[in-house]
Amino acid sequence: MTNILEVRDLATHFFTLDGVVRAVDGVSFDLARGETLGIVGESGCGKSVTALSILRLIPPETSRIVGGSVRFDGRDLAALSEAEMRTIRGHHIAMIFQEPMTSLNPVLTIGTQIAENVVRHTGVPWRAALERAREMLDLVKIADARRRIDEYPHQLSGGMRQRAMIAIALSCNPQVLIADEPTTALDVTIQAQILDLMLELKEKLDTAIVMITHDLGVIAETTQRVVVMYAGRKVEEAPVEALFAQPTHPYTRGLMRAVPRLDAEAEIAGRRPRLQEIPGIVPALNRPIAGCAFAPRCTFATERCRAEAPPLVTTSAGHAVACWETARVLEAA
Amino acid sequence: MTAYILRRLLATLPVMAVVAVFVFFLLRIAPGDPAAIIAGEDATQEAINAVRAKLGLDRPVLEQFALWLWRLAQGDLGVSIFSNLPVTRLIAQRLEPTVALTLSTLFVAVALAIPVGVVAAWQVRKLADRLVMIFAVLGFAVPGFLAAYVLIYIFSVQLQWLPVQGYRPIAGGLWPFIEGLILPSIALGVTYMALIARITRASMLEVLSQDYIRTANSKGLATRRVLLLHALKNAAVPIVTVIGIGIALLISGVVITETVFNIPGLGRLTVDAVLKRDYPIVQGLILVFAAAKVLVNLVIDISYAFLDPRIRY
Amino acid sequence: MVAIADDTDAPRAVPPAATRWVTAIRRNPTIATGAVLLAILVSLAILAPWLTTDPLKQATINRLRPPSERVWFGTDQFGRDIFARTLHGARVSLVVGLTVAAISSVIGLALGIVCGYFRRIDGVVMRVMDGIMAIPSILLAIALITLTRPGLAVVIIAIVIPEVPRVVRVVRSVVLSIRAQPYIDSAIAGGTRGVKLLTRHVLPNTLAPLIVQATYICAAGMLIEAALSFLGAGVPPEIPSWGNIIAQGRSFFQIAPWTILIPGAFLALTVLAVNLMGDGLRDRLDPRLARRM
Repeated sequence: MTNILEVRDLATHFFTLDGVVRAVDGVSFDLARGETLGIVGESGCGKSVTALSILRLIPPETSRIVGGSVRFDGRDLAALSEAEMRTIRGHHIAMIFQEPMTSLNPVLTIGTQIAENVVRHTGVPWRAALERAREMLDLVKIADARRRIDEYPHQLSGGMRQRAMIAIALSCNPQVLIADEPTTALDVTIQAQILDLMLELKEKLDTAIVMITHDLGVIAETTQRVVVMYAGRKVEEAPVEALFAQPTHPYTRGLMRAVPRLDAEAEIAGRRPRLQEIPGIVPALNRPIAGCAFAPRCTFATERCRAEAPPLVTTSAGHAVACWETARVLEAA
Repeated sequence: MTAYILRRLLATLPVMAVVAVFVFFLLRIAPGDPAAIIAGEDATQEAINAVRAKLGLDRPVLEQFALWLWRLAQGDLGVSIFSNLPVTRLIAQRLEPTVALTLSTLFVAVALAIPVGVVAAWQVRKLADRLVMIFAVLGFAVPGFLAAYVLIYIFSVQLQWLPVQGYRPIAGGLWPFIEGLILPSIALGVTYMALIARITRASMLEVLSQDYIRTANSKGLATRRVLLLHALKNAAVPIVTVIGIGIALLISGVVITETVFNIPGLGRLTVDAVLKRDYPIVQGLILVFAAAKVLVNLVIDISYAFLDPRIRY
Repeated sequence: MVAIADDTDAPRAVPPAATRWVTAIRRNPTIATGAVLLAILVSLAILAPWLTTDPLKQATINRLRPPSERVWFGTDQFGRDIFARTLHGARVSLVVGLTVAAISSVIGLALGIVCGYFRRIDGVVMRVMDGIMAIPSILLAIALITLTRPGLAVVIIAIVIPEVPRVVRVVRSVVLSIRAQPYIDSAIAGGTRGVKLLTRHVLPNTLAPLIVQATYICAAGMLIEAALSFLGAGVPPEIPSWGNIIAQGRSFFQIAPWTILIPGAFLALTVLAVNLMGDGLRDRLDPRLARRM
């Protein structure tokens, strides 16, 4: 099974008045056909920018992909012209965003927003495209699709809007769906529904998904492999079970510990476990970071960590970590 | 939808009422004796009394107001002091040139300024945008008559491509009609175009930074479609608003432009009436112009419902 | 206890005045350009009597001379020096513009505050304002002038009246939004009463948008006065105002275009200068205003 997406040493920089922000600083990962890969990290770690860089949707006035490559089905996306890129977007690689209300055009009907995607990439006449739009709305389980086609986004609920976005994204059967925090803005109950829907559709249409989120729960439920990002770099990668069973990078461990847990025993015993936060703050990305980006906040950090950036080292099958002190970390666990 | 239209229609009534009252009282609150001023410096007492009678100032205020409203309801705008012709007739005679000029300016301004604004937003901070902004800033500063005279100087006097002045009614042929309107329309429309281009650019910039444009781009849609359908339709409301507001600019400017280009329209009528102090005509024109402005704003209001579905429902 | 090193407490060196000016100019190029241009024009206007000859002096022997070394801007059909007339015209326009702006601001401020505080007065006054705004300003000014004896004061009043509603609207909306802020409730709860509320909270916030509106009104005032004078309904023809000069140049435009183009260009430049300042001020003051509110 070949990889549908291969990202190698991707680096995206933003040129601001305060200096060059290295939003993505050398990230590599693969996405196999039909696989669900999760990218997890806190806000500002570069996961959204990575996604936008894959589709070359970063704002050209202020940012640029300065290095690395993105290969889709063997083709180097960086080498394509803008016109060629526009044939990939929406057709072979599609994206859904965090805020369904603001991500849908308020003055166009749902039907139009789906159908135009179909017309653009398959050239079928408008009527046929609208029919397809109705099919898609059925697929994403929006009731009364025929009526909804002519409705506007503000007439739909939050969950329905996200379903509509999914409908738009999947309307041309893309091989890759990039989902940037698709459930973050939704109610918890709706979240579950949307995630279930996505998994179901993924099975049906054999779409590979890149699930970008800061929520470990979403990771656990939907992904097969996970990439952990910090300060624009990849710090750990593992199959999902392995990641939860044995988080190896200190940052990953910190993330896991920070998840509030319902510990029934501790409740009864009268001591509720304290929420463990990771001390310190994310480093500013407009100054080059020598050494490990996490070092200032890491309890295991050594001089070497601060001086030299650790390379990614594979510890066991499919599990890679960028850390000098892996041995000590695992011992202390 | 019809409910919305009716509501907007009703909302114009109070404004028109205020305008009517205001115009009525304008004459009566002006300092000094309007009849004397209108009659002129060397007028005899008889002449002044005659003017006063003509203006209806010799009767009690409420009676005047009632009479005036009654006449207004019947479309009677009074009678000119100097020519004794009904104001409505005078206005009707001069209507065509002004309407032609205003419409052609509206058309030219919108047709030129909106695309220019869209391009400026699309090419923000690049050369095209900077040129547009410079033009917009200049357009606001240039008074109507300066633009008119500059255009006349370049195109009529030096190049001799277009007529210096005059109006050619459409009955006399389409091309002379258009020829006579080209320079006046541009002169009248300069500030208007600057305003529209500026607002178009600002509105488009605001829209282009929205998430749904990012979504549109992520679908790989053609740039033209993204700009004109996805973006412009959302940017439309402020643009249409300013087109409506700018009509006031046109109406004010018509007076100047018709004077410079010697076009026998309502603007010239206004000037002639003012110089002769033929107040009933001025009063009638104010009502007509105000009504036109209110009507235009009504149309603009109604068009919002078509542009932004959120307003409808 | 871990001491957190933080360099924000280090004392900042105050740069010398000259550098501060330069930074101010670089950060606000629009205001700077407008201000410089305006300063030049105002100086020319003020110094007009000393820089030029008598603007009213006729010398038919010199009629219709094009601009030359001796007569910088040429002469009109009566042999009057256009340079002199233009600079003197600047005085009229600037006086009118500034006076109109000042008076409209004061009246508009008062009315706006009253409207913002007294709901019942607000209803009536705003309806009247709507009515006034429905009438195109130049027509309103023309109507007012038709009814009175000619003179500079009349012109100013006639221009002020159509411009007041704009100020009232702006001030009123500021007052209303300030009064709706939660911190006003807490100020009142803390014992701050009427007048102090007004001076400490409301007025400072109205200042910025008021200044911006005032600049636009100044520009509008100058343009309307010029238009009125051009039509013969403004400043009496003995006083050289740019509008008058242009009006008097009409009959000879084709052979002596400088009589119209030069005063016209001066008017445009002055309006441009004021507009630039207004734009620059708005850009500078508005975001701060938004943050404060």
